[in-house]
Amino acid sequence: MLAFIAENFVPLMFCGLLFFLLTGIPVAFGLAATGLFFGYIGMEANLFPTNLFGALPLRIFGIMKNDTLLAIPFFTFMGIILERSGMAEDLLETVGQVFGPVRGGLAIAVVLVGALLAATTGVVAAAVISMGLISLPIMLRNGYNRTIATGTITASGTLAQAIPPSLVLIVLADQLGRSVGDMYAGALVPGLLLVGLYLAFVVAVAVVRPKWVPALPMEARIYRESNGASGHISLIVLLTICALAGVTWSHYHQSIINPMIGRGLPAAGDEIFIMSMTVASFLALALAGINRLFRLGLMSRLAERVTFVLIPPLVLIFLVLGTIFLGIATPTEGGAMGALGALIMATLRRALTFSLLGQALDNTVKLATFVLFILIGSTVFSFTFNAADGHVWVEQLFAKLPGGQIGFLIVVNLLVFVLGMFIDFFEIAFIVIPILAPVADKMGIDLVWFGVILAMNLQTSFLTPPFGFALFYLRSVAPKTDYRDRITNKMIPAITTGQIYKGSIAFIVLQLIMVAVVVLNPELVSGNINKGVKINAEEALQELRDAGRSAREQREPSAPSGSASAPAAADPMQQLLDAMKREEDQKK
Amino acid sequence: MKALLKITDAIDWCNDRLGHLVRWLVLAAVLISAGNAIMRKAFNISSNAYLEVQWYLFAAVFLLGAAYVFLHNGHVRIDFISARLSKRTNAIIDSIGIVVFLIPLCLILIDLSWPYFVRTYRSGEMSENAGGLIRWPAVLLIPVGFAILLVQAVSELIKRIAFLTGDRAEPFSYVGEKSAEEILAEELAGKRMDESPPAPPVPHAPEAR
Repeated sequence: MLAFIAENFVPLMFCGLLFFLLTGIPVAFGLAATGLFFGYIGMEANLFPTNLFGALPLRIFGIMKNDTLLAIPFFTFMGIILERSGMAEDLLETVGQVFGPVRGGLAIAVVLVGALLAATTGVVAAAVISMGLISLPIMLRNGYNRTIATGTITASGTLAQAIPPSLVLIVLADQLGRSVGDMYAGALVPGLLLVGLYLAFVVAVAVVRPKWVPALPMEARIYRESNGASGHISLIVLLTICALAGVTWSHYHQSIINPMIGRGLPAAGDEIFIMSMTVASFLALALAGINRLFRLGLMSRLAERVTFVLIPPLVLIFLVLGTIFLGIATPTEGGAMGALGALIMATLRRALTFSLLGQALDNTVKLATFVLFILIGSTVFSFTFNAADGHVWVEQLFAKLPGGQIGFLIVVNLLVFVLGMFIDFFEIAFIVIPILAPVADKMGIDLVWFGVILAMNLQTSFLTPPFGFALFYLRSVAPKTDYRDRITNKMIPAITTGQIYKGSIAFIVLQLIMVAVVVLNPELVSGNINKGVKINAEEALQELRDAGRSAREQREPSAPSGSASAPAAADPMQQLLDAMKREEDQKK
Repeated sequence: MKALLKITDAIDWCNDRLGHLVRWLVLAAVLISAGNAIMRKAFNISSNAYLEVQWYLFAAVFLLGAAYVFLHNGHVRIDFISARLSKRTNAIIDSIGIVVFLIPLCLILIDLSWPYFVRTYRSGEMSENAGGLIRWPAVLLIPVGFAILLVQAVSELIKRIAFLTGDRAEPFSYVGEKSAEEILAEELAGKRMDESPPAPPVPHAPEAR
């Protein structure tokens, strides 16, 4: 008996884990229970030393100390405040008005707003619910094909998973031992490409099946000028001016910013992109403000409305992603700044009440606690798993696979795809990823690339039956019975669950295409990471300086930390760093 | 059984209060973190104490809040099998889980972490970072957090058993609590009554984000 257990320890452990989790006890406790249970069996069988769990408190302390995980409550809090601030409603309505007059325009608006919400709130449920309640009735009223309408909404809602600042990327970065900043930078281009793919799909439908995605009729356009014009020309002029300003800025970005933050290295592409967007959006805001203040009447109502609605989320994106990419703030600080920004925005919109604040904090406590406890549970599990040399067992399992890296990635993606149908991404990230990451690393797979592929794949878990949560949320807010539309007074048939499921199929295929594209083109991810490495090198230098500084402080405990930076220039370490910097500059 | 249920009520009340208290620590951490980032960039003033107090606060949130989240059944479960089982069966599974796994887990962790706390307290260990904080309050959170979770586990166990013996109508204290998503859906539906049909309630699915 003992011999059997000793020989098959790891597979038995997996079976035990599966059994405990399926009983429906909380995942965190089930994971820890599996670890403890098999740990004590192993001790009985003399496989492990009896002090196996002795270091557990230290490991829990390590989780408490983990700076990266702090970003989880910050981004959660920011998302909940934003989802309740009415921002999504305004965006959907306004962007719908902009694109509505063309075929497929409402669907395009949903995709674009989904991407904007993804980059700000990052909450799938909120995006799907808002779109389901606001955009779906308008689409149905205008005779949209139901499959296209529901599919666009559920898929656009799940963009929050793949586009920074998503919680998935934070958790994956932590589990893969990579920096969140790198993970964000790596996910940006694939995320935007996915948005592009959705848009291309909608456009293709509009061309091939124009009747499925009709344009908004004249009477449904709200922001018309007194002379009957739609105001689009004015909007296009405004956009052109701002785009020109943005492009101009992108050319001069380096020469303006580098002296400001005292940097010798060239600026990264994503940083230039974000800053140029910021310049363009602030210009638009200034123009619209001047126009309204002096009643110049140079801008159409539509253009003005678009500016005022679109700018706050763009500013927030800058506040969060911009500061992270610029290296001004760590992702944790970015999250805190975003949360503060969300509070300010909600206050300005007069949406912030004491009860909303309490609810948002309460939800944050609940989410962060269950996530951190799953992590504690998986830490207990990993103690026993590592003691049993589980990684060796998993490695051997994958060593038999043909196809090397690609073969491994295909199998892992299939595994995650299937698991995603049944369990939540937090569980996948904390249970499956730590087991697979060392194998991937050994095979020479770049872990940021690996993480982005998985994040893309985990997105599908929201769309795949039987447990696609985006589908659940749309089902819960889509009309279940036939109803009379208040505006056209026509009867509109209910949305069936089958229509929602069918709608997601095309988008699941699109997402899987994107996973394949990222698998086959690592440079989509690493193109940004290489720049990331440069920033990292700079961070490392900064760390060296800090380390030198604190070492000096320890030698002279009386010196306050502020004055310690002054003599830093005389430090030999500093001279070395300066020399390195000069060399870098010469290379350019 | 009546006396036991009184005890669970008292435990639940205490942990509910505690949960309401720790939520403000999240806000404090947000403000300190954002404030520190701004001060560091704008005035070049920063201290490791500000960085460390953030994770002290967050650690307090999830360790002290664990019992509160358990009370509100907020720890995610993989429920695609348990959702098909009766309430009774689930209550039996839960009771076994609490007795066999959760209570031993808490006891083991308290047993392991208490000496760790005593060690850091006696030595007065400080953070390895310059200007950092003293360590023992953070270490103390581990045994205290799991002790509170242990007490809540006892309370939950009594409730499950009381449900099985028919002394309680529900195995959980909080049934059908509104999730953030439900509140959002209601709010949006309320605002848009004139345009769309009334929205039915969102199913309770705490694990979806």
